Amino acid sequence: MSLAAEAFVSQIAAAEPWPENATLYQPLKDDQILLSDCASSLAVQTYLRMCGLPVQVACKANAEYMSPSGKVPFVHVGNQVVSELGPIVQFTKAKGHSLSDGLDDVQRAEMKAYMELVHNMLLTAELYVQWCDDSTAAEISRPRYSSPYSWPLNHILAYQKQWDVRRKMKAIGWGGKTMEQVYEDVSQCCQALSQRLGTQPYFFNKHPTELDALVFGHLFTILTTQLTSSELAERVKRCSNLLAFCKHIELTYFKDKST
Amino acid sequence: MSAPDELFCWEGDWGLPSVDTDCLIVLAYAKFAGAPLKVQKISNPWRSPSGSLPALRTSKGEVLSRPSDIIIHLRKQKYNADYDLSAREGADTLAFSSLLEEKLLPALIHTFWMDSKNYVELTRRWYAEHMPFPLSLFVPGRLQAGQQARLRLSRSDHALDAGEELEKELYGDAVECMNLLSQRLGSSKFFFGDSPSSLDAVVFGHLAPLLGAKLPSERLQRQLRSLDNLTHFCANVLLLYFPSDGRENASRKASSQAEGGDVDHEPNKRRKQILSGLVAVGAMLAYALFTGILSIQHVHQRALESSPDLPADEEDEDED
Repeated sequence: MSLAAEAFVSQIAAAEPWPENATLYQPLKDDQILLSDCASSLAVQTYLRMCGLPVQVACKANAEYMSPSGKVPFVHVGNQVVSELGPIVQFTKAKGHSLSDGLDDVQRAEMKAYMELVHNMLLTAELYVQWCDDSTAAEISRPRYSSPYSWPLNHILAYQKQWDVRRKMKAIGWGGKTMEQVYEDVSQCCQALSQRLGTQPYFFNKHPTELDALVFGHLFTILTTQLTSSELAERVKRCSNLLAFCKHIELTYFKDKST
Repeated sequence: MSAPDELFCWEGDWGLPSVDTDCLIVLAYAKFAGAPLKVQKISNPWRSPSGSLPALRTSKGEVLSRPSDIIIHLRKQKYNADYDLSAREGADTLAFSSLLEEKLLPALIHTFWMDSKNYVELTRRWYAEHMPFPLSLFVPGRLQAGQQARLRLSRSDHALDAGEELEKELYGDAVECMNLLSQRLGSSKFFFGDSPSSLDAVVFGHLAPLLGAKLPSERLQRQLRSLDNLTHFCANVLLLYFPSDGRENASRKASSQAEGGDVDHEPNKRRKQILSGLVAVGAMLAYALFTGILSIQHVHQRALESSPDLPADEEDEDED
């Protein structure tokens, strides 16, 4: 979203309250969605729940193509469509809902830094495992990603996606990494998060922030998703306070839904 | 540990030990940790053992080229600048390094490699001038293509040709990132107390080129200069850990500028005049030889050879 459009959106957004019929779009939950998208979507849902903003989840096979930035999830609120957590956080802030107002400057800097850590290491590692590990890509990612489409489109789209991700990995210097190195990065990232969390209920003491939503979204999805190898979840499970943190947020914000 | 590890990096300029962010990170970390590296400053990436810079050739002959790998290797050799950090501070290091990589690095790539004015007048010129002749024609362009691919793929949701908007967004992110760093640093000397750590190396590597380079279009640079504590931080690291580079480069620059000023005056000009005169004379002589003189002599000789019935004349010729 451009800055001009952003300024315009925030002006309009401030004028209108959050509507009841806001909708969050994501790929099909049972057959199609992949680990990384599912994690991002859960992070946004958690964030909106933390803000106390109601949202309906709609699963669409073509959610990725509906999104203005080409990434899922995105929310449709009134007349606006906003995608990804960062812009959504700004958008809700313009409407007067913010979780990070109580933080001082240094804490806000730390919060942003840790959010980038999750993007930089966890999200990238998820993408790597999904598309660069041959067995995961063949058994899970490609079939699931292309499930709504018929032959030959399914193969074309899946391989195209895989090729895009692999090129991206090469460009950011992950091309030469082995699976073991990627898992090691995940461990490192989880340890860092675990250290930062310590024994607090949330990253910044008593109140949840968007960082909590993001971390929960990713860790919970990694813990509850079945992949060809459970190594990713094992690495997360080594940090016991992160497990407790996930359980705590699940109970606080998803009690009604978790069955 | 008989032979020290050998580190290959880009040459320095602008008062910095190297012009490249990754090289600066590794150099600064090695200084902070006190690792005895044999540093080879080169300006020809083909002379590096991995084909890219920086590269570390360890005493066992292994070659590492990613800064993170090099730092891990140094750490394994007990050269650890983060030894005194608590686990929490180690976590912060990782987080802020990610912040720099995600928010500041794209804008830096844009400033140095995409901004056409900066690229043509500063970046390409610098690399081309420092490389040997045939490489200087295509290696800078190849480096740019690599950086461009990196920027495009890390921002896959945007077409790079969205020009203005992308620029604004990148620079907005970068300014926010620099503000966050400045807030985190506050008034302390280094990010974690009084001794430098790997985060200091990473921040220094990203900010120092932006401060030091004489960029024609200096939008991002101006923003950074307005953050006093970050400017001081970089100057401080340079002063404490790279005192010789700063002075050496400054003096070299001064002398090269003095030479540059002389270009229009006597010695070089005279030499050029003489050289171009020689070249012209050479070309004319060659032309004359190939067309006129040589053929005339041939005809002359052949005419003499094809007249064996005039032995007296031939003898005359031989005597001549």
